[in-house]
Amino acid sequence: MLSVLIIIPILGAILVGFFPGNIPAEKLRKVTLAIAVSLIVWTVEIALKFDLNNPHWQFQEIFAWIPQLGLTYNLGVDGLSLPLLALNSLLTFIVVYGYGNNVERPKLYYSLILLVNAGVAGAFLSANLLLFVLFYELELIPIYLLIAIWGSEKRGYAATKFLIYTAVSGILILAGFLGITWLSNSPSFDYNLISTQSLPLITKLILLTILLVGFGIKIPLVPLHTWLPDAYVESSPPVTILLGGILAKLGTYGLLRFCLGLFPGTWEIVAPGMAIIGTISVLYGALAAIAQQDIKRMVAYSSIGHMGYIIVAAAANTPLSLVGAISQMVAHGLILAILFHLVGVVETKVGTRELSVLNGLMSPVRGLPFTSALLIMGGMASAGIPGMVGFAAEFIVFQGSFSKFPIPTLLCIIASGLTAVYFVILLNRTCFGKLDNNTAYYPKVIWSERAPALVLAVAIFFLGIQPIWLVRWSEETSNFLVLKSQIEIQSISQYLK
Amino acid sequence: MIQTTKLPPSKHEFAEIIHRLEAGGAMLPDTPENLMQIIGIYKAYAVPMDFYWRDLLYIAERVFLNPLPFFKYFLPNSYLDLHNHYAGDDADLRVWRGEATAHPELLEFIEKGESGKKSKLLHHLWHDRINMEFAEACMRAMFWHRGMGGKFDPYLDTPEYKAAADKAIKAYFQGNPVMLGLYKLFPEMFIEQVRQLSYYSNLGLFWEVMAAVFFEMFDLYNEGKLTSVPEAMNFIVNGIFAVADRPIYHHVYIRGELYEIIPKSCGFTWLFEAALPYVEAVFYRTAPFRGTKSYNAQAKQVPENQKDFHYGILYADVFPVGNAGIPPTLLMQDMLHFLPSFLVDYYKQYCRGEDDMLIQLGITFQRSMYCVTSAVIQALRQATLYPLDDSDPEHLKANREFFETQLDRFKRPEARLRNIQSQDYR
Repeated sequence: MLSVLIIIPILGAILVGFFPGNIPAEKLRKVTLAIAVSLIVWTVEIALKFDLNNPHWQFQEIFAWIPQLGLTYNLGVDGLSLPLLALNSLLTFIVVYGYGNNVERPKLYYSLILLVNAGVAGAFLSANLLLFVLFYELELIPIYLLIAIWGSEKRGYAATKFLIYTAVSGILILAGFLGITWLSNSPSFDYNLISTQSLPLITKLILLTILLVGFGIKIPLVPLHTWLPDAYVESSPPVTILLGGILAKLGTYGLLRFCLGLFPGTWEIVAPGMAIIGTISVLYGALAAIAQQDIKRMVAYSSIGHMGYIIVAAAANTPLSLVGAISQMVAHGLILAILFHLVGVVETKVGTRELSVLNGLMSPVRGLPFTSALLIMGGMASAGIPGMVGFAAEFIVFQGSFSKFPIPTLLCIIASGLTAVYFVILLNRTCFGKLDNNTAYYPKVIWSERAPALVLAVAIFFLGIQPIWLVRWSEETSNFLVLKSQIEIQSISQYLK
Repeated sequence: MIQTTKLPPSKHEFAEIIHRLEAGGAMLPDTPENLMQIIGIYKAYAVPMDFYWRDLLYIAERVFLNPLPFFKYFLPNSYLDLHNHYAGDDADLRVWRGEATAHPELLEFIEKGESGKKSKLLHHLWHDRINMEFAEACMRAMFWHRGMGGKFDPYLDTPEYKAAADKAIKAYFQGNPVMLGLYKLFPEMFIEQVRQLSYYSNLGLFWEVMAAVFFEMFDLYNEGKLTSVPEAMNFIVNGIFAVADRPIYHHVYIRGELYEIIPKSCGFTWLFEAALPYVEAVFYRTAPFRGTKSYNAQAKQVPENQKDFHYGILYADVFPVGNAGIPPTLLMQDMLHFLPSFLVDYYKQYCRGEDDMLIQLGITFQRSMYCVTSAVIQALRQATLYPLDDSDPEHLKANREFFETQLDRFKRPEARLRNIQSQDYR
């Protein structure tokens, strides 16, 4: 059942990529769109059959692939991965629907988008460490190409930087996984068969640190983040949506799944440090965003900040904070996607992203009123205004982590105020004011350009008003993760006695 | 064409435009595209104007001091059938060869609107109607910008005027002790209202002429008899002189009886008491838009002297039309209903096509008002100075000085005179 989510996009990528003859982009888009829709349908099907009371892997599919390596084709889904899978399917659909009617080299483009989807879905579904690394690396090349071919001016630099950072991240993760498996004498790389409990504490700490740096690059955590602004800003809007909306979630997903999941006891030791790094990320992202003059760069830095909340929540490791972390991943994916989409619309219509040039886009007849209205909504959602999904997720995070880390949590709350500061700057300079009469002959925004933002806006409002649909999937899994670490902490303390 | 080489070239910032005016042209460049635009918009403006002048007179003459004038925009048939004095067979001075009663397109709009046939009240509540508030705003601009020359405004403070108003007020509130008591307590409150109503009448009488002029220009253009912008301007100049001494008055009908608040015998005339104050008040001054200027006294965005006001259509920024706080939107919406098809086709080719027609037509309207203002400037020159083909260089010099002082008013950065020189300003 789960393989479908990987096989369809891969087959689709082959089909689209090797379509014989010269197919107009519009037709390829329709084919890809059909594939994306089928993925959404399949995800919904999985969600409907998903057992909310079961914290473990569901719909598992296992068969031995290369037993000598311990690589089994082992898929499963649980409360941690299901919301992210849904996000992946949704964003792929939006990216295909909203963009590319006149893209250059459409075959390669759509094929790569589908490959990214397959890679991400595979990584979220993998219940085998090697398989995870395989998909993790699989997603790297298409994204590199998507940046390097369809990006803007400095795309070569940005793409290479992204590639090197992510490759290093992949190597570290692989090294960590090999270390875990071999040192703990596990029979294979299967997630469920691995237990780090018997390892000495110092080994566990070293392995955990390797994984933290590996995933920290992907998230990104603050000292490891410098690939992000370049990669986000130089990518075309659809690629930015994929990058920020879903690929960054691979990092936080790995953090919860492998760092916390495999080292439940040791996590407690590094948690205070993680909370501090997360808080620094949040503050740094907000302050750096305030200083930007380019709206896309602002949104990129906002992404660093918002990923920081997830780190703080994961560090706190309470049932509530983990639910908050997962919710924040989904919330951030939706909000970042709508913001990057709208920023992309503004850029294509107005021809600039400079705060000093943009003005008066709210003007109803000559401006981009619909886009501006949604941009304001997206900015408010990102800043944590109640009624939208950002508030729901951030509030759960704060509520969950305050008992463990009161000061980092308070600093995060302050930073969410700073988020409002830079979004108000952005909205004020972009949407308000008056149009420049010499330049304001912008083309109109057509419906197919509005639709993706509209879909995302509906999702943001719906999950903000009915957050139960955001959290219900991951409650049991979160409880289970916390329980596991508590048991191990007890055994550690017994052992220390 | 008149030779312009008699004088050395002007050193004014707008020298090119001054030379054009001296050659008998308009501030607006003479291109077929400009002509087509301004004539088209004159027609689109004249139809709502046909409503404006009728309703202004209706309010001034019949609604009068009604304290709760809920239905002042519901024009009775008698005012729709009212004969324009400058159109139809029984005209005093026939400007337009068409019907003297309300324009057929206007009648059709009143009946059907945009949303189909329904009662007047529903049309009104559905906001499917003529934005009469715009006409009232123009009236109020004239009323508030006092002291623009002419004798009409000083007359409103004379004892004769007050006595006539007093008579009408007492007659209007006859048998209504509450209002009469109020009048006793606060007489100025009511007199001031009557002054405002006199301006209703003033503006109504002004537009009665302009509606006919614009309709006739549209017909002449379609007949191929107006072929250039100067010809269009000269038609307005001639119209101005033809109707210059038509009377401006304020009559009120109370219970079938006529009260002459400003009798025709006062000798107020159309050119000096209505047209020139109107151009000054509405084309040049009006009031700062709520949506573009801050009225904050400390910010000093709004000038202290009314003569420094520069918010009229000649200066207005049309791009924010449709925004909140931009009054001309009301007029643009009105004109949108009555655009001739050639103008709609023209707008479809540019910018956002039908989507931003409101602004495109607003800019056309701005062009057309530069043409009207040119006509006013030429008429003033003709009335007070010398002909353009005068052989005396001193006279030509006086003309030039006059033009230069007129154009000095457009040196402000907000003035759109520079923009309308180019067709790219849409």
